[in-house]
Amino acid sequence: MKPATLEFVKQRFAEYYQRQNLTVPSSLEQREWGFIFFDAAAEVRMRRHMAFADPEELGAYVKSLVPAHVYYSTAYYQTPSAPTMNEKHWAGADLIFDLDADHIVRGPYAMMLARVKEETEKLLAMLTDELGFARSQIRIAFSGGRGYHIHVTDIAVRGWGSQERREIVDYVCGIGLDPAAMLAPGGGETESDLRSDRAGAEGARTGWRRRYVETLRAHLLDLAARDPAEATAYLAGLDGIGKRTAAEFLADIGSLAAGAPEDLLKNRVVRALTAAPGFEERLRDAGARADEPVTTDIKRLIRTPGSLHGGSGMRVVPLDIRDFADFDPLVDAVVFGDRDVRVDLKANFATSLLGNTYSLDAGIRNVPEALAIFLCCRGVAEIAGGA
Amino acid sequence: MGIVLDRKELIKYPFLKESQQLARRHVESLEEFLGSSPGDAALERAKERVVAALTFKKEFQDENTQNLKPELEIASYAIARLLVSCVGDRSLVDRLARYEAERASFFLAAEEPEIRRFVAWSVGIDTGAAAMPVTRYVELVPHLRDRRWRLVNRDVRQGGVNLEPGEIDELIRERIRAIIADQLPLRVPAGICERLAPVTGEIAALQQQQVLEQFGEVREEAFPPCISALIQAITAGTNLTHMGRFAITSFLHTIGMNVAQIADVFARAPDFDPDMTMYQVEHISGRGGTEYTPPSCATMRTFGLCANRDRDCERVNHPLSYYRLKKNIKKKRS
Ligand code: SF4
Repeated sequence: MKPATLEFVKQRFAEYYQRQNLTVPSSLEQREWGFIFFDAAAEVRMRRHMAFADPEELGAYVKSLVPAHVYYSTAYYQTPSAPTMNEKHWAGADLIFDLDADHIVRGPYAMMLARVKEETEKLLAMLTDELGFARSQIRIAFSGGRGYHIHVTDIAVRGWGSQERREIVDYVCGIGLDPAAMLAPGGGETESDLRSDRAGAEGARTGWRRRYVETLRAHLLDLAARDPAEATAYLAGLDGIGKRTAAEFLADIGSLAAGAPEDLLKNRVVRALTAAPGFEERLRDAGARADEPVTTDIKRLIRTPGSLHGGSGMRVVPLDIRDFADFDPLVDAVVFGDRDVRVDLKANFATSLLGNTYSLDAGIRNVPEALAIFLCCRGVAEIAGGA
Repeated sequence: MGIVLDRKELIKYPFLKESQQLARRHVESLEEFLGSSPGDAALERAKERVVAALTFKKEFQDENTQNLKPELEIASYAIARLLVSCVGDRSLVDRLARYEAERASFFLAAEEPEIRRFVAWSVGIDTGAAAMPVTRYVELVPHLRDRRWRLVNRDVRQGGVNLEPGEIDELIRERIRAIIADQLPLRVPAGICERLAPVTGEIAALQQQQVLEQFGEVREEAFPPCISALIQAITAGTNLTHMGRFAITSFLHTIGMNVAQIADVFARAPDFDPDMTMYQVEHISGRGGTEYTPPSCATMRTFGLCANRDRDCERVNHPLSYYRLKKNIKKKRS
């Protein structure tokens, strides 16, 4: 960023922090804080191990120093300002999930945002319907970049170490699924229920046992719909499957897919299929693509809701589950106005913002302030003189 | 719960608060007790417990016929905890915890329903429920290796994990193990450890022998790629992350290398600092009392330590299993 650009962005951020407060996390005095500043001279370095006794102190700090990025610890510490982890004395941590489009798809910003929102919805459904977390204990935040953070503040999870958290994140991601467990008969009902009413019993499958069977069936049906020569070649490429077996399997695939889940694994080809990367990818799609290391790390710093993301100029928006469906980051996370600002765009750039679609050519042009902030923060434009 | 266990029953579950109270009433001063003849008997029995733990003894029936007084029998459990604490090795501690849990589980299987319910309740498990809250379940299972225990493989609905018949017994056993393991090692006064030194010496020797028999001599050519990569990194003078140091040290310790041998590995680094290394190695190998089980492949991956994965890796999910597998293959060939 050139000095003029830096000055412009910093001023706008300052203005924002004059009128808006951060969303203060619970037990503020037990949290560690970290900040990255707009200082162009220094390389990007975080000032951390900070602590604040009350919201006023925190607010005053942010207003006067106007950081580019604001983070706080998901952990609670006895002495959050101590310089080393040991001296901080860890006293628990919220359960966190990070969904970042960068780890999911590549493409235009709006498309990435839409996709990561779907993943977040899947995650929320699993957390509430399956794992049983109360909606009131779940907070969502738009990250200000390309994703969402989920904070589960339930007191029951606070003391968990990485291992307990791993169980949960593996569940939401579908990591370590055992085909035998997934396809085993039963869905919580008795044996005789199963025999008397197979369709009903299958309807009773929930969670991963349902997702797994559905995914496997879809996989089989896709295979059946493929060009036979191609499908045979694919199957014959799997470990231990010959051409002949593959062809026989394909002839049978329809009835197999319609049959009982517990019969599927008896088939050698199905067993090979479920172990192949193609199917594993599909299973990952059936789960939610949360970033595992974030959840298992019990000493993480996370962006503070209510702050601005210095790499996009967007607001880290705190959200309630209720409001999530209607949330559109390209409108709701934009906090700046529409007065004209003259920028020098380094390359062609297309995006939508506040309901307008922009397709801009490189060069000097006037754009609304909100877009100017976005472009400057992303590093694709500088403020042009003479405006 | 309005249940009172009698002394005969308490000896089966010496970790219960009630059992400990009984023993404490009997033993006033530990120093004096250890010098007395009942103390000798209890110490002898404590040693048996630790030896049984080390040798994976699974027969518990005969203990019923022991003619040791219940108070002394329970005291022997407490002394066994002192013994492993004085030795200070984490894997020994884990063995004892596992042994005691299996022993209790053995008796529980044939126990009166209300006593079984009481013991389970004492360790925080409700035997009456067909499902367990997710938040409780994930606290119980991390150390259970079998993949059927992974939350992702369970029938989970509305915040509850359904349990199959019989599984609750396995969870009770695991819970008892975890409670005992978490309490250990105890901070034992140096004077007491000195007094126990003859016995702890024998135990340490037996353990060393056990490890050697289990893994045989150390064979570097059977190391998994991740461990070889770490060793190479050390040799090249790269600064390892904490997790990297932890992974290599705990791995080498588990396959039977002692502190000095492990320090030799670190000594391959150009900027080797003997004091620092000894300190860290001792810490990780259990002197500090923290857990030192080497990380699984999943954890290695999370920390970016799973380097140069090869074909044999597909058959294992733990670097230790890789090592065992490779050694066996090599043995057969040679
Ligand atoms: S798969 Fe496991 S054993 Fe193989 S290199 Fe990775 S961590 Fe090591």
